[in-house]
Amino acid sequence: MTGLWEILIRGLWFCTAIVAVVAVFFILFFLVRDAGPIFSAVGLETFLGGAVWNPTGSPPAYGTFPLIAGTLLVTLGAMLFATPLGIGSALYLSELASGRVKAVVKPAIELLAGIPSVVFGFFGLVVLTNWIRVGFDVPSGESWLAGSILLGVMALPTIISVSEDAISAVPREFKEGSLAVGATHWQTIRGVIVPSALSGITAALILGMGRAIGETMAVMMVTGNAAIIPDPVFDVLSPVRTLTGTLGIEMGEVAVGSAHYHALFGVAMVLLVITLIVNVCAMLITERLREKTTASAAARHRILSAETAERLLRSSGLLVIALLAGVLWVVAGPCTTLIALAALAAVYGIRERISQRHVQHVAFGFIFISILIVLLILGIILYDIISHGLPALSWEFLTQPPRNLGREGGIFPAIIGTLYLVGGAILVALPIGVGAAIYLTEYTREGPVTKIIRSGVDLLNGTPSIVFGLFGFAFLVLFLGFGVSLLAGLITLGLMVLPTIIRTTEEALRSVPDALREGSFALGATKWQTIQRAVLPPALPGILTGTILSIGRAAGETAPILFTAVVFSRRLLPGSLSDPVMALPYHLFILSTNVPGAEQNQYGTALVLLLLVIGVYLVAIVIRSHYRKTVTW
Amino acid sequence: MVNRMQENGAILSTRDLNLYYGEKHALIDVSIDIRPNTVTALIGPSGCGKSTLLRCFNRMNDLVGGVRTNGECLFKGKNIYAKEVDVVGLRKKIGMVFQKPNPFPKSIYENIAYGPRIHGIKNKKALDEIVEKSLKSAALWDEVSDRLHEPAMGLSGGQQQRLCIARTLSVEPEIILMDEPCSALDPIATSKIEDLMIELKENYTVIVVTHNMQQAARVSDETGFMYLGKLVEFGDTVQIFERPREELTNNYVTGRFG
Ligand SMILES: Nc1ncnc2c1ncn2[C@@H]1O[C@H](COP(=O)(O)OP(=O)(O)OP(=O)(O)O)[C@@H](O)[C@H]1O
Ligand SMILES: [Mg+2]
Repeated sequence: MTGLWEILIRGLWFCTAIVAVVAVFFILFFLVRDAGPIFSAVGLETFLGGAVWNPTGSPPAYGTFPLIAGTLLVTLGAMLFATPLGIGSALYLSELASGRVKAVVKPAIELLAGIPSVVFGFFGLVVLTNWIRVGFDVPSGESWLAGSILLGVMALPTIISVSEDAISAVPREFKEGSLAVGATHWQTIRGVIVPSALSGITAALILGMGRAIGETMAVMMVTGNAAIIPDPVFDVLSPVRTLTGTLGIEMGEVAVGSAHYHALFGVAMVLLVITLIVNVCAMLITERLREKTTASAAARHRILSAETAERLLRSSGLLVIALLAGVLWVVAGPCTTLIALAALAAVYGIRERISQRHVQHVAFGFIFISILIVLLILGIILYDIISHGLPALSWEFLTQPPRNLGREGGIFPAIIGTLYLVGGAILVALPIGVGAAIYLTEYTREGPVTKIIRSGVDLLNGTPSIVFGLFGFAFLVLFLGFGVSLLAGLITLGLMVLPTIIRTTEEALRSVPDALREGSFALGATKWQTIQRAVLPPALPGILTGTILSIGRAAGETAPILFTAVVFSRRLLPGSLSDPVMALPYHLFILSTNVPGAEQNQYGTALVLLLLVIGVYLVAIVIRSHYRKTVTW
Repeated sequence: MVNRMQENGAILSTRDLNLYYGEKHALIDVSIDIRPNTVTALIGPSGCGKSTLLRCFNRMNDLVGGVRTNGECLFKGKNIYAKEVDVVGLRKKIGMVFQKPNPFPKSIYENIAYGPRIHGIKNKKALDEIVEKSLKSAALWDEVSDRLHEPAMGLSGGQQQRLCIARTLSVEPEIILMDEPCSALDPIATSKIEDLMIELKENYTVIVVTHNMQQAARVSDETGFMYLGKLVEFGDTVQIFERPREELTNNYVTGRFG
């Protein structure tokens, strides 16, 4: 009897674990199915290489080249912006900050990660593009530059935290060995610490890049969305349009089944392939990194010789300088550019005569400036939204439906809609995610099956949220006939947060020492009894943290619900799962892009959304630190 | 100041050196004189402060948060804890070999060339010469001369430790500090390093922390016995091992301890 029960439970967990793989398969299947017709109609070559994207013109043109270029340019700019700031901040946190400073700065940067992308987009739209417009004296600030800065800021938390982990993991012995031959701290960082952490830092940059490529809402709100290639190509003030932006704008208005509809699925496929390549690169690098930590494996790798590394660094440095010079030329004129280049050359000329102590001062100065900039950005965003949003908050605002297209009245239905969506998404994802994690950690040894499941989870994790939205639309809304509804939205959101829940739960389960399991088995408990009584209770805080992080993520996401669940205006609360809902992020998006004269309520909505998400994250941080202190094995 | 060195001929000495890790008083009134071109051994039970004292000599303790030091530590008559001292230059002159071999994850060649490069030597030929000379002095050249550009992590533990010694020698220090350099090595690798220490004292001054009493007796000219943060007795190695003046020292070197 117990035997059968055990087998049933095991089977159940196996089924949940397979969900991620099935989901990936379904996503791919529906994308390919709906993208197929456009490839056969215009041909892959024209689709990828065509220079004009004008699906509503006559004749329509389906060339995605400007969109791909737009995505790559915006991402490149974001990386140029975020790489020095990110690595500088990571170096500051791991090498220069005292324990007390670090305890404050690190959560602040995690906070930056918690800001919903639509709030970033809103800030970019009302503040950043304005600054660019005034600062460079151009008719509109909606541009490649705005998109790159915003995406760079959004990629920063990932870059900082992953590279900080990599740098902190460099053995102390390396550092001591370098200092012991009389290297300065900076020489040690440059010569030993950064090279040892290079694969981790690279992985961090690639992960940040993946985040930037897959982002929809923020880019769409600030890049101007003209499907053109900037001319000249480094004109950062030109508007551009990304793959994700195209989907976000056009998917809502397209006739289902038209060539345009299929072309959008083609765009989604291109996007998915690009993010796939990026994520696989990151995966391979982190895998190599993990291998490297065992000394014997390190011996097997031939190491980059210092000369090659130096040459690589130098040439990429030159490239960056050239790019920056190009940008400077456009935004500040040839005169400034020449002066800057001359100054650079002068410093380079006398570099031999500068003492190492001064070099270190300058380097640490830059590191310090980079962390200050990051904190300043966070401060400006929070200050802007809080100071403008507070006056909008009132009892009426929180409890009334919107009036006059949201210019007046409140956001009550949007708050409730968001709560429904998030609650539903967690109800979907939590049992499946925890079940999958239990199966992966407790029931199997590492083998081909777990490998497939893990790859599925990783792929799902790297899928841009707008692709989830498209999948939800094609599969849930149309194919299953759910219509634009709460149900379709919460399933889509649930799928999106599934990888987070699986991963954090796995981590929590793995941190439970085997001794507890063995102790339980020794008393004659079955597998499931052991898991229930001995493993899950101590893992609970970890699972809880993962769940809360997922809640925060789901509450702030816009792209997945854009075509699956939301409407802008609805006085009534949803009566059933098949009703569409209002949601805070979507409300903010429409208010700020489509409703002139709603400034006060825009800021109010942004603040409520921000408080909601940050509040949720704070709970997670508190739980984590509380249990870190009290739980000791 | 300068006279003091001439008085007793010491290259390195401490006067009433005290060190605190936060509240923990780890070195108590330590006064010691190290003569040039000798091997000095520091012995004592675990936790007595040997590593701490050694790391005072090149100010490696600066890296640990919450450390306070007072008293004097004189290198060639100059207090290395004085404000104007250039710590980086000091560490170049007083090199250190660690308990666990810690080659960088670079090639053998790059490990040795690292120090000279740091100090501004760029010329390829000069670097080649330094690498060869250092590896020869560390008795490693014959074993690695045909694989200089392979990863240092691929060497055996004993080879790695000699590589670290070669790395230390590459910047031509005057004093070499070694913290239990053989504790991770097998007997054969250990005896190689012991021979090396004796060879090195011709050109350098060596201070070595060890738990191995035979090793101290074999390689050192002078020995210091430490206990609970104090330097209990310091003197000629033969005297320390055969006619210790202090009861504590006697108990420790005869193995009747604890
Ligand atoms: N970073 C630190 N913070 C606080 N206390 C420390 C620190 N490092 C060492 N100590 C303490 O200082 C004392 C001396 O330590 P030290 O490492 O010098 O001993 P040791 O003689 O080298 O021991 P062993 O033979 O085990 O290496 C010990 O009691 C140790 O616990
Ligand atoms: Mg020690």
